[in-house]
Amino acid sequence: MGLNHRTAPVELREKIAFDSSLLGESLKRLHSLPSIQEGVILSTCNRVEVVAAAPDEQAAFREIKGFLVQQESAAGHVGLEDHLYLYAGDKAVRHLFRVAASLDSMVVGEPQILGQLKGYYLAAQEAGTVGAILHRLFHRSFSVAKRVRTETGIASRVVSVSSVAVDLARRIFDSLEDKTVMLIGAGKMGDLVARHLQRSGVSSLMVTNRTFERAKELADELCCSPIRFEDYPRYLRMADLVIGCAGSPEVLLRPETVVEVLKERKQKAMFFIDLGDRRNFDPRINEIDNVYLYNVDDLEAVAEENLKGRAGEAHRAEEIVDEEVVGFLRWLDSLEQVPTIVALRQKLEQIRQRELEKSLSTSLKGLSEKERQALESMASAIINKILHAPITRLKRQVEGQDEALYIEALKKLFDLEEK
Amino acid sequence: MDVTLLKVTAVFYLLGTGSFIVYLLFPRDSLSRLSPLILLGGFFIHTLALGVRFSEAGYLAVTQFREALSFYSWLMVAVYLLAQLRYHLTVLGSFIAPLAFLMSLGAFTFGTGAGELPLSLKTYWLPLHVTLAFLGNAVFALAFGVSLMYLLQEHQLKNKKLNVVYRRFPSLETLDRLNYVFLVWGFPLMTLGILTGSLWAGVHWGNYWSWEARQISSAITWLLYGALLHGRITAGLRGKKAALLTIVGFAVVLGYFLFGSSVFPSRHGGRFE
Repeated sequence: MGLNHRTAPVELREKIAFDSSLLGESLKRLHSLPSIQEGVILSTCNRVEVVAAAPDEQAAFREIKGFLVQQESAAGHVGLEDHLYLYAGDKAVRHLFRVAASLDSMVVGEPQILGQLKGYYLAAQEAGTVGAILHRLFHRSFSVAKRVRTETGIASRVVSVSSVAVDLARRIFDSLEDKTVMLIGAGKMGDLVARHLQRSGVSSLMVTNRTFERAKELADELCCSPIRFEDYPRYLRMADLVIGCAGSPEVLLRPETVVEVLKERKQKAMFFIDLGDRRNFDPRINEIDNVYLYNVDDLEAVAEENLKGRAGEAHRAEEIVDEEVVGFLRWLDSLEQVPTIVALRQKLEQIRQRELEKSLSTSLKGLSEKERQALESMASAIINKILHAPITRLKRQVEGQDEALYIEALKKLFDLEEK
Repeated sequence: MDVTLLKVTAVFYLLGTGSFIVYLLFPRDSLSRLSPLILLGGFFIHTLALGVRFSEAGYLAVTQFREALSFYSWLMVAVYLLAQLRYHLTVLGSFIAPLAFLMSLGAFTFGTGAGELPLSLKTYWLPLHVTLAFLGNAVFALAFGVSLMYLLQEHQLKNKKLNVVYRRFPSLETLDRLNYVFLVWGFPLMTLGILTGSLWAGVHWGNYWSWEARQISSAITWLLYGALLHGRITAGLRGKKAALLTIVGFAVVLGYFLFGSSVFPSRHGGRFE
């Protein structure tokens, strides 16, 4: 049960979010609810979810809702119920797998969610609220994420944007080794693209930021030189690639400036990459000869276009999730079945022994050792033959909905109440 | 004999064209090695064909249109193969190979045209002038090819629609540099071609410049390329503008070569009186 970026506005998500320092306490509170056997809480900026193992679906839903409302009321009433989603059984398993594989993320394919998931799982483990089922469920979800990442082309936005930027740079420039990159602004995306360019061979990098301190910090991280914000226009002529990732509301570079810079550079080509939330560079810059301007949307469009060649990647990812859901449910069902089957076998075995003893000590007393053995094995064979059909049927039919029905029926028919 | 060899040459160039185009669509390393080799095979047979023709004629027989086509395409393939050795421009082959195929096709399909060359013109001026002028233009054909590739690539990058076919194109910077390299080689060759032609005319006919169509078209291209080279070196003229100028200059040369000689009959068209 939970809410995410699709069902609830950010204000609500913020209010309901679990404080990481109080997480252990919250987990214990969750665990103490009567119908909850195991529980994990996820609380990221895009989603707040409670994952729980409980025998009674309805009771669990009721209790978790109460639990979340309690969390909500601590922050003031915000109309939580309209934004909640509830999943049970295979739907819940599928949901968790999709979350882990970043298929449910706002930015599909972003890698952070898996780390967060692992973190919250460990926290729950520490708090002692994880049992066999959630343990297995979360570990499966981690391996689903790994499979989706390695078997499909769904890469994170940052990764694909960076690699498209490098790809484009390679189409414009001969080699990147002798090129200079200027990074304007300290936005995360710009930082990542700059790193990717460095890994691709760019050796010369300049960093500037409105606050010089931040520029210096970033320059230290990237092993390059910081430039004062008021000075960067003077250095612009040295830059072949210019990455803008400043949060400033006004446009930093206008076409007139670029035309001037280009004259100083003897028209040597320039590649502008605008990663700012609000545009850092005037779009008309792209109209200048020997100048190429791409913003995030352009880069993403190109990345998507590249992906089209590998159509069905998302589809393939969903298939992987489906496979894994089936696998997990089979395991879950086998958990359910095993005690029933064992109990059934024990019960029949008891009957066999009791009846054998009874007969052997009375009416069949005169049997030889050989005949006794033959009789015993015949009795065993009868039991096995009888049990074979129902057991294989139970083991095979894991997807069937009436599985629980069969088990229930078995228990009732053979009077197999657990002790 | 030489016609049969030319036909085999054309078949090789056609195979080469196919191979280069397949390479463009499915860039495999094996194709990038195979395609120039096919072209090289064609080139050897082409050399044989020309050798047979020239030894039969007893001079550098290029005065007929079909002969000129054959000789020019031979030079162009030679220059391309050299450039391939140096710069690995397999994609450029996709432009040169079809051109070579069409020209070699023309070399045995067009009629014989004008007759025998007057004995008085069979001097050393002929091979000197023709080879230099044709070689210059062959290098310009490569400059034209890279410029065309530049414009295609540039168009894609500007419009942010990136077709996979262009993935194997060299970078804009490389294409622009090659444009310069080919100009630097082609321009002096063309200059020498014009000079030797002019001197030859002076020696033979007494006037160095007679304003015939061939000369005018050459002069236009020469001025254009001269200006381009000057602009490149001094004013940072490069990229799209340079590519466009290169294409216009070559179009003038090509236009004359294909149509000029029949529209404006002259010495270059086989009238020597």
